[in-house]
Formats: sequence, structure tokens, C-alpha cells
Amino acid sequence: MERPRLRRLAPYLLLLPGLGWLLLFYVYPAVQMFVVSLWTGNITEGYQMTWNWGIYQQGVSTYWPFIVRSAEYGGLATILAFALGYPLAYTIAFKGGAYKNVLLFLVIAPFFTSFLLRTLSWKIILADNGLVLGPLKSAGLLSEDFRLLATPAAVVAGITYNFLPFMTLPLYVALEKVDVRLLEAARDLYAGPWRPGGTIVGAAVGAVIVALVSLILEVNPLVPAVIGGVLGAVVGTFLISEAFVRVTLPLSLPGVFAGSLLTFIPAVGDFINAELLGNPQSQMIGNVIQARFLKITDYPMASALSFILMAAIIVGVLVYARVLGTEELTGGST
Amino acid sequence: MPDRIDQSIEITRRRFLAGSAMAGFAAFLAACGTQGQGSQAPSTGPETPGPTTTVAATEGPTATGGGTLNFANWIGYIDVSDDNKTHPTLDKFTKETGIAVNYQEAVDDNETFFTSDLQGPLGANLSTGWDIVVVTDWMVARLVRLGWLETINTANTPNFPTNLLEQYHGRSFDPDTNLAAPWQSGMTGIGFDKKKTGDLSSLNVFWDTKYKGKMTYLTEMRDTVGLAAIKLGVEPNTITQAQFDQSIAEIKKAVDAKIVRQLQGNSYVDSMASGDVIVAMAWSGDVLTLLVPDQTENQDFQWALPTEGGMLWTDNQVIPKGAEHKGQAEIWINFYYAPENAAAVEAFVNYVCPIKGAREILASDPDIANNPLIFPTDDMVARLHQFKALDATEEQAWSSAFASVAGF
Repeated sequence: MERPRLRRLAPYLLLLPGLGWLLLFYVYPAVQMFVVSLWTGNITEGYQMTWNWGIYQQGVSTYWPFIVRSAEYGGLATILAFALGYPLAYTIAFKGGAYKNVLLFLVIAPFFTSFLLRTLSWKIILADNGLVLGPLKSAGLLSEDFRLLATPAAVVAGITYNFLPFMTLPLYVALEKVDVRLLEAARDLYAGPWRPGGTIVGAAVGAVIVALVSLILEVNPLVPAVIGGVLGAVVGTFLISEAFVRVTLPLSLPGVFAGSLLTFIPAVGDFINAELLGNPQSQMIGNVIQARFLKITDYPMASALSFILMAAIIVGVLVYARVLGTEELTGGST
Repeated sequence: MPDRIDQSIEITRRRFLAGSAMAGFAAFLAACGTQGQGSQAPSTGPETPGPTTTVAATEGPTATGGGTLNFANWIGYIDVSDDNKTHPTLDKFTKETGIAVNYQEAVDDNETFFTSDLQGPLGANLSTGWDIVVVTDWMVARLVRLGWLETINTANTPNFPTNLLEQYHGRSFDPDTNLAAPWQSGMTGIGFDKKKTGDLSSLNVFWDTKYKGKMTYLTEMRDTVGLAAIKLGVEPNTITQAQFDQSIAEIKKAVDAKIVRQLQGNSYVDSMASGDVIVAMAWSGDVLTLLVPDQTENQDFQWALPTEGGMLWTDNQVIPKGAEHKGQAEIWINFYYAPENAAAVEAFVNYVCPIKGAREILASDPDIANNPLIFPTDDMVARLHQFKALDATEEQAWSSAFASVAGF
């Protein structure tokens, strides 16, 4: 009677390596950090466990604006990554043909370079008189003191760029699984192209997204909204048909869900982009935590803030899952 | 202490770890995996600044030669050969003493280095793997407070403190002048792009809306707050809580008016090079050493000590508690304090030299001997201020207040 027992044990044995890994490198440090968050003291005089629960309240009240800002930047980056990633993934999945693999490779190609280097290279490309802005300025299209670096816009753009593949790949996987015969069937049932409608919806979505981004970044939204509208119109014309709205989009929702989480969660906690591309007005909660750990050696507050951030993200994700429906979470619709 | 591990094996790991804030923890893990050869307890290879379980006796035997020296210093802080590959002064040291030097530009800023390399092992009574570490005055003060430094046995170092300039003797954190051997001093003042700004000499420039968005402050609290205090007519060496608050408010004005583009560490040099920043709170030697070699036609980088005054600080060589090669470290300090050796480093780094006799040696090159960045004039010395020594509570509260004005 050995075999059934072994078979029963097999799933647990298979879980063991991953579970062990998580216990050692996630649960153990997390527990320890939680303990640290309740200490009081300082680096030279030492720390004592004082069960200082008040630090959580203090952390939230002092650093609430940073958490809100991080959520805004992370959310904007997620929306932008979606707006860029969806048409990209759609094109690769349905029109990629023989070039599918090459195109996918190009999507992840930036990952072969270090995160830090990729962000630093933005400082060179977007320098006040650099490759991009220099010619525009000398052509008189931009005022002399216009700049992209050290602005909130640069931070959001940097995050979007750095996490775009996290959005694109799950979208691609979801879209790739869409059965083309369903689309053919939809067309047979008169779900044809939707030319004026698609253009208008695309333009509206593009304009609204870009205007929203501009408003939060305190940039005059007019010109960006027009640009966003035009781009949206072009994409919408080719992408949005009735078959798309009724078949492709619903079937790709699991990818949307996975992609937005994979983008949003690391984006909220990111600090590199704000540090390198931001200014004193655009620092995120990650920068606060980093400064508390490394510069101020205030370990209890740094640990407490890490937990507050974690809790905030978990709550946010749960709400999001609720709204989008748990079925999509598990890929139930495919 | 004999050299126990073939150093070539370890290089890659050290390189891999360098610069990572988690290096301390990672090195700890790494050290767990590198058992010493034979009988000795888990050992620290020359290239692995991981902690060991043995704390060397304080009265370590004087090494007479051979062995290794693990040396952590800041970037651009020692002479480099023309091909950028070797450090002539270190080569000379190795040739004379037979001691190999594992020189790493591992210190990027005091706090980060403290967190990544010192605090973990020293807090657990382990050795850091470093034998010489270069840190700024206030960090030395903290390490002294914690009892984490070895005493330099001056019987082994005839040149130190004998050749140390008088003003460095008996500093408050090192009354017997046997804990910290000054490496270089530097000044904090105005770095600017002369082609775009003209000559600058007043601290008021850091609040001038004319340079809005084209200016950086430093992330080092003592430099930025110090300059703000001097601007307000406050002596940084005796700054009170109320005066500190005023200085912070003064900094906040410039930040809120978006005059300050960013607060930066050493990277302000890159921002100046790219033209994004034309006025910066800057360290004296950087502008010459790091910017001038790349100077192009439309750039003209200058550094000035403000008329109101500037900050003076000193980076010191210290031996962390339990250093495995304390004897070698003392031999190195003695070597560096020979004026001809200090002069060789000085000629390259453009910082203020703390060693007697170096100027005379450099006199043959009037460009250097008369360079006020290396040998400040009496008039400049009179305008230099040092930041008050802070106790632990103050230090945390003040850096916290500074962080919040800096945007985090």
C-alpha cells in the first residue's frame, strides 16, 4: 500500500522547494521586519522592544501623501502601459505572423540591461539640451527653460517604460489564446468593422487617458490631450470592431488583470525612477522607506512603512479583484 | 597574520557584491559558505568583506611585511596611472612592503556604507573584512561612540601623527589622535558653469530664482544645512536647534519655489557635465578632478569658496574593530603619512592635504603647490566652518527633518 500514500504526498513534496524558498526569503524577513517595526531606540544606543504600535498610526498620518502619490504614479503608469501594451500585444498576437517571436524578443530585450542603467540612460537622452529636447529647443518649438528630467512626468514615463513588458506579456498570452474561429463566427453574425465608432471611441479613450495623466502631473492638458486623441483614433480605427468589443476584449480580461497587477504592484513601491528622474516634489513612498533605512537609520519607521505599503497594496488589489470579478482572476472565462 | 586564501578566487564575488546596499547581508551569507582551509575558523578571504566569527586581538602582532590590506575608499580618491588601470601609490606600497592591497571604491556615501558593510558585522562582534575604511568625521564620531574602531598603535607608525598638521590633532572624537588618520579634507562651496553664470561668489546664488531648475543641493545634511546656516549668519559649529530650524526653513524656501532641481550626492557632477545643472553645491576637488578632464568648448566649470564662508570636512582612515590585518593597516598609514607618498596622491585628487611636508615636495610644480583647493590660503581657512558634532538623538532628528525638506 505504498503507492497511494506516495501519490497523496506528491503534491506536498512538489510544493516543498517553493514553500521553503518563500519561508526563508519572504516570511522570515517579513516577520523580522515586523518585529523591528515595534522597536524604539536608535543606532548608537541600541533598540528595545517596546511594542510601539503607535508607529503605524504615526507612519500613516505623516506619510499618507507619499502613499497617495505613489498610488497615483503607479496607477498612471499602469494605465499608460496598458494603452501602449494592449495594441502592441494585439498586433503581435494577431498580425505578428512569422515575426511573432522576434517581436516578443524585442519586447523583453530591454530586460537584458540592468534596470538602473536603463533609467540612467533616460537622463542622457532627455537631458535639458540633449538628443530629444536640444533640437526642439533650437527649432524654437519649446521654451528654453522647458525640461522633462526632474519632473513628475519623467518619473511616470520612466516607470511606464521599465514595467511595460510586465503588462505586454500577460496581455499577449491572453490574446494569443483567443480562438480566431470565434471572431469569424462573430463576423458571420454581423459583428463587422465599426469604422466611425471605433475611431471615435479610440480618440475619446486616448484623449481622456492623456488628459488625466497631464492633470495629475500638473501639466496643461490641452496639447497632450489632442495628441492622445489622434493616436487613440488611429489605434481605435484598426483595433476596435464589434467583434473586438464582444469577443476579443472579454476574452483578454484575464491578461488585463494579470498585467495590471504585475505592473502596478512593483510600480507603487519603485524608488529608482523617482530618485533619478524626479525632483523634491515627486518622491514616492519607496524613497521614504529607502531614506529611513539607509540615511536616517530609523529602522522601526522604515519597517512600519513597508508594512503599511504592503497592506495598502493588498487592500487595493482585493478591491480591484472584486470590481473586475473573481472569475477573471482565475481565468475562468477561457 | 598569514594570508590564508588565494585571493584570485574571491575577486568575482567581491565585484559582484560591490555597491549593493544588501552587500553586508549577502556577504554574510557568502561567508557562511566559504570555510577557511584547514583548521582555522570561517575565514574572510582578502576579497570578501564578509564577517568572520573571530575578532582579532586588539594588540595584533605587527606585521613586518607580506599579507593583504583590504581598503575601502571613495571614488576618484587616489592617484591613477595614465592608462587608468593601476594606482601607482598602491603599487609602490606593495613593492616596498610586500603587502598586497585589495583597493575597492566601496564607499558611496557614509550612511549607505555604514548600513551595508559596517553595522551588521560590528553589531554582532564580527570582523567586517575591511582593514582600512575611509569615512567622514561625523561617521568616525559615531563609530567611536559605538566602540567599533581599533586604536592605531602609534608606536608602529612613526609618521603618524607626527606628520599630521597641527589643526587635526586632538579632535573631539579622537582626543589622543590614535583612532582616525585624516585622508583628505575638502570644502563645500559653489560649483558653477562659468560660461552660463559668470563669476559667482555669494551663497545667495543658491536662492536666486534666475537659476530656477538648474541648481542642485547636496544630499549630505551637514553640507546643505551648513551652507544655509552660513548664509543666515549662523556658525555651523555651534548651531542650536532653533538655528537649525531656521536653516531648514531657508532650504525649504528654495525647494518650494522649485529653484532646487534635485538633491544629489556625487552625481551632481554628471548633471553639470550634461548641462542640466549650472549651479551646484559642490565639493572642492570634484570640479577639478571629475569635470575638467571632460571640459568641452562651451563649458567652463569652476568652484568657489563663498565669500560668506563654506563647509570644511575631513575624510579619515579608520581601522574597524576586529580587522584581520591591523598590522598591515598600520604599515599603510605610516606609508601614507610619508610626505612624498601623500604628495603623489595629492597631485591627483585635488583635495586639501592634511600632511606636513607634502607642499614642499609639490613645490616643484607650482600649479599644485599654489592650488588653493589643495593648499587653501589663510584667507580661505578663515572662512571655513565645521559642522557641530551631534549626539545620536539629534543626529536622527536632524537628518529626519532634512529628509522631509528634501522631499522624502
